[in-house]
Amino acid sequence: MEKENEYTSRNERAYKNDEITVYWKPSACIHASSCYRELIEVFDPGSRPWVNMKGASVERIIETVNLCPTEALTWKWNDESKNKQVGAGHTNHIKYKRPELYNVKPATSSDTPLTIKIMPDGPAIVEGSYILKNSEGESKIVNSISSFCRCGKSSTSPFCDGDHRTNGFSG
Amino acid sequence: MKNETHKQNIIEVIEGGPLKISGSVNLQDQKRGINSNANEVYLCRCGRSANKPYCDGSHKESDK
Repeated sequence: MEKENEYTSRNERAYKNDEITVYWKPSACIHASSCYRELIEVFDPGSRPWVNMKGASVERIIETVNLCPTEALTWKWNDESKNKQVGAGHTNHIKYKRPELYNVKPATSSDTPLTIKIMPDGPAIVEGSYILKNSEGESKIVNSISSFCRCGKSSTSPFCDGDHRTNGFSG
Repeated sequence: MKNETHKQNIIEVIEGGPLKISGSVNLQDQKRGINSNANEVYLCRCGRSANKPYCDGSHKESDK
């Protein structure tokens, strides 16, 4: 009857309970870690399947999915008529994905301030437009959300690869 | 016209060192109660700073 961990496509999975479906797109995950820090009862990277839709109330699951800074986690009501009433406040509703991920302006690496959120025991999440430079003097323009490693152990340095979760990083 | 200088946001990955972020920066750190605006910050990348999230030079002793 109830389907869990159903594949929707090659790169996305769906997790259902009676009221909502949560979608998980691993390729979009930047390891901000807000899901498991906020609600380990539902989002537990150490468990399989890692999403337990019975672990908390629907409200708490929606709140937590809305915290995801990318489209890695999104959700919708199973009752389609309810989806039509969802407002833009639900940034990670499947119909209201974060506008900053889609309204990417070309190459104006200025004006708006960069927002840097330091995640507890996790990466630095950077939102905005900037020029990324490395020590070889190479540079490129970035207009999106990215996460920079703070633990020193990422194999995809300078970006976060999620290693902080298991290497005991505290900071 | 605003009479602000036209600031370009730049993030420089310093090899074996911190992340140098310059331009117009809003830094938020809930764990330490920081919410500040700055023109330049150096963020620790090695995990060893005693002054996180900022760099304190500890990377020089780290075996990176």
